[in-house]
Amino acid sequence: MSAYSELIKNYEKVRSYMREFYIYGFKNRSEYDKKSARSYDDERRRIESWLQDYMSFVRTSEGKNVFISIDSRRIEHNPFFRTLKAKSFTDKDIMLHFILFDILHSPDISLSLPEILEQIDIYLSDFSEPMVFDESTVRKKLKEYTELGIITAEKQGKKMLYSRACDEEFSDITDILNFFSETAPCGVIGSFLLDKTEKENDIFSFKHHYITSAIDSDVLAKLFMAIRQKSVITMTNLSRRNDTPITIRVIPLKIFISAQNGRQHLLCYHMEWNSIRSYRIDYLSDIKIENPTPRFDELRNELTRMQENMWGVNAGKTTLGNEKTHHVEFTVQVGEDEKHIIRRLEREKRTGKVEKIDDNTYRFSAKVYDESELIPWIRTFICRIKDIRFESRETEQLFKDDIKRMCRLYGIEEAE
Amino acid sequence: MIFSELYSAYYNAVARIIRELIKGEKNEKRLSEIVSENAFAESMLTVLPSLKSEKWQLMKADMTTPIKHNPTMPLTNIEKSWLKAVFMDPRVRLFGNYEELFPDTEPLFTPDDYVIYDRYSDGDDFTDEGYIERFRTILSAVKSKTPLDIRMYNRRGEEISVTMLGKRLEYSEKDDKMRLIGIGKGNYDTINLARIISCKESKNKEPSFPEKNESKSRTVTLRITDRRNALERCLLHFAHFEKRAEKIDDMHYTVHIVYDKDDETELVIRILGFGPMVEVTEPEHFRNLIIERLKRQMEFEL
Repeated sequence: MSAYSELIKNYEKVRSYMREFYIYGFKNRSEYDKKSARSYDDERRRIESWLQDYMSFVRTSEGKNVFISIDSRRIEHNPFFRTLKAKSFTDKDIMLHFILFDILHSPDISLSLPEILEQIDIYLSDFSEPMVFDESTVRKKLKEYTELGIITAEKQGKKMLYSRACDEEFSDITDILNFFSETAPCGVIGSFLLDKTEKENDIFSFKHHYITSAIDSDVLAKLFMAIRQKSVITMTNLSRRNDTPITIRVIPLKIFISAQNGRQHLLCYHMEWNSIRSYRIDYLSDIKIENPTPRFDELRNELTRMQENMWGVNAGKTTLGNEKTHHVEFTVQVGEDEKHIIRRLEREKRTGKVEKIDDNTYRFSAKVYDESELIPWIRTFICRIKDIRFESRETEQLFKDDIKRMCRLYGIEEAE
Repeated sequence: MIFSELYSAYYNAVARIIRELIKGEKNEKRLSEIVSENAFAESMLTVLPSLKSEKWQLMKADMTTPIKHNPTMPLTNIEKSWLKAVFMDPRVRLFGNYEELFPDTEPLFTPDDYVIYDRYSDGDDFTDEGYIERFRTILSAVKSKTPLDIRMYNRRGEEISVTMLGKRLEYSEKDDKMRLIGIGKGNYDTINLARIISCKESKNKEPSFPEKNESKSRTVTLRITDRRNALERCLLHFAHFEKRAEKIDDMHYTVHIVYDKDDETELVIRILGFGPMVEVTEPEHFRNLIIERLKRQMEFEL
């Protein structure tokens, strides 16, 4: 049995725990039944070590519950970024890293592998038991760094010469990094760059800031790479509805991000079903990028066309070209001093149109694939909805019944 | 790819330790501080002991290092491609012109590769030259802690003048708007940048502002009935608040949410969006805000 370490090799192991602690936070140890108790203890201890200031505990009759509580408006940087800086490494990895970049401290220095090995030995000669690096270890590391773009390899005759990649020159971008590390996709990369600076962010703060997507950065970056390459991918999907992961082959088209719940979805073409589908990125793992496909542009255009009728992430779930739209409309009463309601309708609608019926009545209407996606938004106008029509009578009745249920919850029916 | 030791807290801590050693620092306490500032709660048990025991042969017994230059690393491909993507974002113009950088680098993503589909459509115009100029004036004043004389429109659309000491710039992802947060005369502590007509650094470098000690934090308690995936939807939706959830039984949960008093109306609306799956149980005044809206709705007899 290996000794506990706060660093890990596989991030996938902790992704779901962090989400459970942060999003839910009411489960006790025995409810994490998918893994062993020891695994739970180790992962909890690691997450505590990474996020010590944000972890809380509460004791209930059923045991101790661990949760992460963060007011994201009060933080300068997403605390989950820290968790992506906990990758394990070997003793040789860390030594080689610092020694190699010290040997190759300027892009002007070009050395062959034997020359680098010779230099390494000199670096270590003052230690009581100098570590020995064989040729294959150093070659592998140089190859890895070349692929990452931090070392360049150039053949000169029969010899391969290695140099440090040129440093880019640009002005101070700390403000950009502080802002975009929190607001751009894969913002953790901005955090990596900030780690190289000494400056703190005491300028920007963020409201309505969903931070949990940081945990999915690696998956998201791979999806973006596949989209840029217009490539087919296979991916593993483990949704809450399934106990077993499913491998799916799709053409990734676009990422849909919510500013109102932080969820990120992949919109993609499902090859077997001939259909554009959405998948939650927090359920995806093990993205494997295959070859580019000539169909990418055509399918991306299809999705753009379909976005006209999408309120959320549901693209109709039918075969391509057979999508059905449903009409939704509701009217609201707007008082003399309530022009902000009209502004709300205009700025919050994602598709459809707003029409003035008379000075005090406005109507919103839209044709969408999934009318149920609008319900939460329409409910936010409760107190002024004069009329509502869904193409599906069932959905309309459910909406009206829900308002009655709400009244019963608050004891209003009796008072009427 | 992203989860790599190259970006790890340990590598960062060791890089900083090496920098100190090169400077001649031999104070172990200072090196411990570097570990606690740059790594995790339990890193103290690993980083310095590994260096001291020569497990990681980067620090010698006399606390010198064989490393001769301050550790640096060029940008990795993914760092460059992320920066390239950021430089394509229209908001980057607030900070300067960066379009020409990394001409040979492919961006990690472009604005066409993702959409924030539920963002409000009346966000700030980050490409407006006047807005950019005012933003830069404000950013500079916040950094130098200099008060600003601001000419702006109030909520009623009237032009007014305000002097404010900006403390930070707050960006709302949902509204796509920037706000200046600070302390100012005339009861202003938050100003939407889009409302500002003009601003300049104030000649009065040390104006006195009324102190506000009033805490704006409030707590609302919700009872969730887990039908139609309400529990997950609700907890995700309110995830950005400080909160605590408790299980009552397999179907019901309680969530305590700490919110800012100024955002109460917004929170009422957001809770209404969950329909009968979420009930406000406390405090009474918040519950009454929901009741009042429901009563008005019932008058329409849908």
